[in-house]
Parts: sequence; C-alpha cells; structure tokens
Amino acid sequence: MSTTSSGFKLSEWIFTTDHKRIGILYLIGSIAAFAVAGLMALLIRLEQMSPGPTIVSDAYTGGDQYNVWLYFHGAAMILGFLIPGLTGFAANYLLPLMIGAKDVAFPRINALSVWLFWAGIVMALLTFVVPDKPDVMWTGYPPYSIKTGGNLALYVFTVHLIGFSSILASVNFLVTIVYMRAPGMGWFQLNMFTWSCFTALIIQLVFVPVLAAAVTLLLMDRYLGTHFYDPANGGDVLLYQNLFWFYSHPAVYVIFLPAMGIFYEIYATMAKNPIFNYKAAVYGMCGIVLISGEVWVHHLYYSGMPDWIRIGQMVTTLLISVPVGLMTISLFGTLYRGAITFNTPMYYGTAALYLLIVGGLTGIPLAMTVLSVHLGETSFTHAHFHFIMGIFAAFSVFAAVDFWFPKISGRMLNEGQAKLGFWFNFIGVNVTFWPLFIIGVEGMPRRYWDYSQFPAHFADYHKVATVGAFIVAIGMALTISNWLISAVKGKKAEDNPWGSKSLEWTHTATPPGPGNFAEDVVVDAAWTPYNYR
Amino acid sequence: MMKSASGHAQVHHWETSVAPMLVVGGVLFLVVFGFIGWFSYHSALMTILSVGIGVPLLVAGIAKWTSEGLTHKPLVEGLSPVALPIFIVSEVFIFLSLFVAYWTMRLSAGGDWPPAGTPTEMNLVLPIIMTVILVASSLTYHVAELKLEHSDLSGFRSWVLISMLLGLLFLGCTTYEYGHLLHQNFTPSTNAYSTAFYSITGFHASHVLVGLGVFLAVWLAAVRGMSNKYFAFCAGLYWHFVDIVWFFVATQVYYW
Repeated sequence: MSTTSSGFKLSEWIFTTDHKRIGILYLIGSIAAFAVAGLMALLIRLEQMSPGPTIVSDAYTGGDQYNVWLYFHGAAMILGFLIPGLTGFAANYLLPLMIGAKDVAFPRINALSVWLFWAGIVMALLTFVVPDKPDVMWTGYPPYSIKTGGNLALYVFTVHLIGFSSILASVNFLVTIVYMRAPGMGWFQLNMFTWSCFTALIIQLVFVPVLAAAVTLLLMDRYLGTHFYDPANGGDVLLYQNLFWFYSHPAVYVIFLPAMGIFYEIYATMAKNPIFNYKAAVYGMCGIVLISGEVWVHHLYYSGMPDWIRIGQMVTTLLISVPVGLMTISLFGTLYRGAITFNTPMYYGTAALYLLIVGGLTGIPLAMTVLSVHLGETSFTHAHFHFIMGIFAAFSVFAAVDFWFPKISGRMLNEGQAKLGFWFNFIGVNVTFWPLFIIGVEGMPRRYWDYSQFPAHFADYHKVATVGAFIVAIGMALTISNWLISAVKGKKAEDNPWGSKSLEWTHTATPPGPGNFAEDVVVDAAWTPYNYR
Repeated sequence: MMKSASGHAQVHHWETSVAPMLVVGGVLFLVVFGFIGWFSYHSALMTILSVGIGVPLLVAGIAKWTSEGLTHKPLVEGLSPVALPIFIVSEVFIFLSLFVAYWTMRLSAGGDWPPAGTPTEMNLVLPIIMTVILVASSLTYHVAELKLEHSDLSGFRSWVLISMLLGLLFLGCTTYEYGHLLHQNFTPSTNAYSTAFYSITGFHASHVLVGLGVFLAVWLAAVRGMSNKYFAFCAGLYWHFVDIVWFFVATQVYYW
C-alpha cells in the first residue's frame, strides 16, 4: 500500500501505532486465517462425499483427523476471521476516519491488540505442528475436552489471546467514539457503521470475559486438577455450556452488527439515499445489546432443563427478531427510489439481503423448542448459521474490502474479476448449503463424518454440497488474487470514486497519510454522512 | 499523529512503538509457552527457555511503554481515567463468572457443605487481617495521591512504597495460608470447595500481583523524577477495585 510519506519501511509497519496500518495488519491476519480455515472446510466437504471413510485414512482414526479439521475450521473462522475482520480490520481502518479523529484514543494499546490477535493466529496454526492436535470443535465442551488426548491448552490460549485483544480493542474504541468525535458531531450524525461498532463493542466488552473465564476453568480442570466441570466431585458439566453460550450467542451479534453497518454504508452510498428510518435502526442496534444477554439458553434446549426455562428462553430468543427486523427494514428502505449503482460491493449487498432473509427465517424454527428438538443437531442448523453468520458476515468483509479498496490502496479493483468472483461465491454457497437444509430436515446429523447408518440418498446431497464448496474456492481465489494484483497494478483511484458524503471519502487524501486529515475536521448541525438530498 | 501547529502542513511521519510487540512476545513466551511446556509436554527445558525469553521481553516492553507514556503527549489528554473503568467492567464479569461457578457447585451440593476433605477448622482470623491490610493499602495510596496533587514527589514515592509493602504483606499472608492448607492435604483437587477456594483467591491474588506491578512502574518513574497524574490515578483505581473484589472473596469464600 503506498502512502503519502516516503516508501515502504518494514519497521514502520510492524511497530506501527497508526490505526489504518493496524487495520491492514488485521486484514492480512484474518484473510490468512480464512484461507487456512477454508482449506479445512474443503477437507470436511471432501470427507462427506461418501458415507464411510473418503479421504480420512481409516474408520478407526478417521474421527480424530476429522475432528481436528472441524476444530480449526470453526475456531479460525469465528475467532480468527469474522471477529477480527469486522471489529479488527474494518473498525480500525474506518472508525477514526468516520468520526473525524486523527487516531484512536490509545494507539499503543491498539498495536497491542493487533499483535495479541496475531499471537492467537500463531497458536491456532500450531495445530498443524504439534503431535497432539486439538480436536474440541470451537466449543470445547467438557467432559470430552478434558479427557481427550488433544492439546486443550492450544485451544484455551487461542481464545485467551484473541479474547484479550478484543477486550482491549473494545475499551479503546468505545473511548474513541465517545471522546474523539469531530467537534459538532452529535450522536445521531454518526455513520451507521460507527453505531454498529459501538453497540457490538459493548457486547464484546461484557461477554468476552465470561468466555475467557469458562475456558480458564477448563484449563484448570484439565491441568491443575480442579473439579468445576466434574459431576463426580461436585462440579457441573452444564456450567460450561451456560458460560460458553452466554458469550458465544452474543458473539453472533458482535459479528452481525458491524456486518450490517458495512451494508448500510454501501447501500446509502450506492443508492445515493439517506438511511431509511435512521433512528429506528439505531434503536434496533441498542435493542440487540439489551436482549443479547438473554438468549443463550436456546443452545441448551436438549441438555436438560425445566420446561418453564425453555419456554421463557424461546420468547426472549424470538424477541430478538424485533430489533433485527427494524434494522432489516431500514436497510431495505434505504434503496427506495434510489439511483442504485450496481458495482461489486452492491452485488454483495444485494446478496446479503437474501442471505439475511433465508438465514433469519430458518432461525425461527430453531428458536422454537418443539421444532428445535428435531432440527437442532442436524445439518439444518449447520446451514442456518452458515447463511446468517458465516456467509452474511464473510460477504460483508469482502464487500468492505471491495468498497473501501480505492481509499485503502489508492487503486481501483478489476471490476470484471471482482464480479466474476462474486458470482462464483454466491452460486457456490447456495449449492453448498441448500442440500444441507434439505437433508437436515430429513435427519442428517451435524458434525458426523461417517453417516453410513443414514439413508443412502444423503450421499447425493453431500456430493452436490462438496461441488458447491469448490465453486466457492474458485470464487475466493478470484477475489483474493484480485485484491493482491489490483493493490499493485490497479488504475489510480480518485479521492471519492463513489461520490460518498462520508468523512473518510470527502476529507482525506487517497490513501490517507499519518494524521488522517490535513486540517482538523469540524462539522455543523446540518451535516450528516448521508446528505444525498 | 499530527504535531503541526501551522494548520496546513501534513506531517509525513508514521508513529511507531516497539513496546506493544515486546509485551505480546513476553506474554506469549512467559505465559503461553511456559504453561504449555510445563503442563502439556512436561518439559523442563521448554519451560525454562520460554520463561527465560518471556520475562526479559515483558519487562523491557513494560519499561519502554511506561517511559513512552510519561514522555509522549497523547492526542487527547486525560482519557485513561475513563478507559480504565470500562476495562474494569470486563474484569467484573470475569470475577462474576468465577463466583457463578462457585455458587452453582455450592447450591447444588445441598446440605453437603463443606464437602469431605475440608479441614475442620479453617482459619477465619487471617482473612480479617488480610482485609485490614488491603484496606490500609488503599488508604495509604490515597495519601500518596494527595501528596502528588501538592507536587510533593518524594512524599508520593514514600507512600507508594508503603502501599506496595502492604500489598506484599497481603500476598505473604496468602502464601502462608496456602502452605498451611496444602500441608493439611487441602489441595485444588481435594473437593468442590478447594476447587473454588484456590481458583477465586488465586485469581484475586494474581490481580494483587498485577496491581503491585503497576505500582512498581509508578514508583520507578517517580524515583526517576517523573510522574503523571492520570497514570497515578489509574494505578490507584485498579488497586481500589482489587480491594473491593476482596470483600466479595472474603465474604463468599470464607464466611458463607
């Protein structure tokens, strides 16, 4: 990436405290995690091509190999790609620019966050080096995680490092948003992306520590002999599931909110419209923060609990559709009578609306206790959360890179290749996950590598899904190679190629140099980032 | 960061700091590789190497960080006193999770408490002494802050030192207590109570240790004639938080 200052200096990158460069370091780390975790997904799909052993060595050790792929795919996609891609890369690069600040409140803590995240990536990658590979999914449920021969400590420390990085980033950005907005910028003049990060970071601040505590107790049970999760000695296995999902369900909103924020920015800019029902959407985000802590028990429907808790949690889980609905209507409405430019970010944006609706609606039966008992542990759930959480959020990261690429790199993407990559990705994910919805309803369990005791036609659906995964792989190869090549060889970009009204486009050089703005930014009461009328 | 006062001049200068990476390296080697070396792979060599690499990195990182913090002017001054309480919110949730784990075990045990293996007479006087020590250290640190307000750096230094000594005394009590209990075969793996007891008091003690580390950084800076009221305030705030947590630890773990 070229800068306004002198050429490339390695020390200015690895020791940097500049939020834009830290954002790019986050992006590199998260795309690396995505690539390796994506390879794991391909291995998983290849294995499921046939009911018995396909690519694992034999029926006896096959489960162990397969568990390691599942572990790495899940842990790296969520902790290494989605969260750092959104609240790491996007928030770092964009937030200070959007609020007119020269940097974050604590630049050195910001650098600490990014390198803690990289340390977490290193820990995760050690999976492929150590003899006792972790095999505990991304959930690490006891008693298996305590009894397995896999290296639990690698899992726990990956969570610790990335978790600590997230907590510090939350503190840093919350303070930055509250205290470092440009003079005159009121709360209802903030970008939607700023709001989405503000709310997501509150969730992150409060819930990540609980996950950290949950896995710490796991570590102590395994290595120090304590009995937190050991029923034989007065402990409780379900305690872990409660603590884990107390964080990990809200984590979905830590991913969902900034992903929505990115799409709001893209929609408004490409439709040249102000955000429809801006305040309602903001209240929707705040509503998600309030409700997010009361929904985790639906992950434990079949772990044993009194009916009155099940029903209560069904209500609170369904309740979260209200704020999500407010946000979705507002996203939709932003397009109303807009002069829409369909470039690649907008392609992803449009696809996101579809993913949001399919992924959101398939969540409703899963929230309902009666249906959930049937569908919960099947590939229906697997397809549901891949739509809403995996692909929706991943598309938001790709859209964000495509949308802000001119600002970040100073060059334009190859639009044709980007669109081709989009179509491969979009078709690929549908070919992958629709078959899983269908056989999920018919009873295909999640996480199984050997499904020979199930109806034979499941294999056909799995074959289709595997083809889909490879279509996505082609799409991602096109997308990522486009970023790399265009960053060096792309056409020079203007300062504001999309004609946006947001500060990061209107008030900075391309790409922005140290200090972001040539002059201090001041805005008046009439200014909004969506002033298109 | 722009330092220019002239308005139009864009400063062509990327800010850097070595400190964060040193700290991350220190944590990675000392805590992570040290733990894995000892507990996963039972390798003394790996543990010694990790600790040997980690400690100097961590100390160098913190020293560099402190000295930068005391000499560089931030973009907006005085934000750390609002940032630290936000960080403490997340700390509160870690402690809360530990207490939830303890309460779960305790309440599901029914009348079976304390479970078999707990010494019949736990020492209930020591926690009172420890409470007094910790509260006293909070007060002495408050005096230190008052001295700093009146620009009395040598008074500040002495009172910080007194607070540190009280903190050390508190950790001494913990060590004595642990030794005594371990001697009676009350170990972390004895029963549900020992599990909660060692985890909660140990986690609190680790916070005391971090607080002492921060005091040490404040004190060393003061010895070199440097001080920063926000830094001193944050060190104190953290210490008071650790103090308040102790009330919950003492009442829940010892006296309930």
